[in-house]
Amino acid sequence: MTGTTFHDRFLTGQLADSEFRAEFERERREIEAVDAIVGALEGLRDERGLSKAELARQIGKNPASVRRTLTAPGNPELRTIIAMADALGAEIKIVRQRRPAVRQAA
Amino acid sequence: MSWGVVYYRTRAGVVPAHEFLLACPTGVRAKLLAVIEVVRAAPPPAFSGGGKWEAMHGKMSGYYEIRCTGPGRRHYRLYCVLDNGSPKGLAERGFEVPQIAVINGLVKPNATLFTDAEYARHVRKLGDDYRGTLPRLIAS
Repeated sequence: MTGTTFHDRFLTGQLADSEFRAEFERERREIEAVDAIVGALEGLRDERGLSKAELARQIGKNPASVRRTLTAPGNPELRTIIAMADALGAEIKIVRQRRPAVRQAA
Repeated sequence: MSWGVVYYRTRAGVVPAHEFLLACPTGVRAKLLAVIEVVRAAPPPAFSGGGKWEAMHGKMSGYYEIRCTGPGRRHYRLYCVLDNGSPKGLAERGFEVPQIAVINGLVKPNATLFTDAEYARHVRKLGDDYRGTLPRLIAS
């Protein structure tokens, strides 16, 4: 189905627009970064056999807040992410991208 | 298994979600389509979508909402359903693989809510038509 569906043709056409492509790729990187962090935390939680409520108790947070962070983290709170990682024996690190940094116009 | 993405088409040949996306500002359209692509690559039950792909509840149960804020703090929403089933069930719908079916989109000013009547008219009515038709009514 690659490249032949209505959606694929629509998206391919849109990606020809540099403004669209820049925003699409930036958004995709952001979503993938959030997904990677949440996925990793969920993996560690599962590995340790901890429920979301138990994890919330360990870090002194409301269970609903932890559940939301792990299921629909539109804009997850950094302190919650760090606390969850710490409780699960992990840490959050920032590493340099291999691609050149995106520079904003002045 | 990789998923596909299809757009609901009315019996009159209109593709509401496509028209909605074309009417969105470029940045909004890019963000909404980026979410679809990420979810397509890692469909449910895997967590994906960065929290911008959300399961809806109540009368909208079964729908998924992609959320994006655009210029002037206007809120853009794109509504989808997951169309999955057995190979035989998918074949009856006209598919080889499960699909993210994009139904329609809505936009609202900041600090306002959609009414149930709006959801019923602009999303559920179309979604019911999509899900009640074999093979599925989709843009081609």
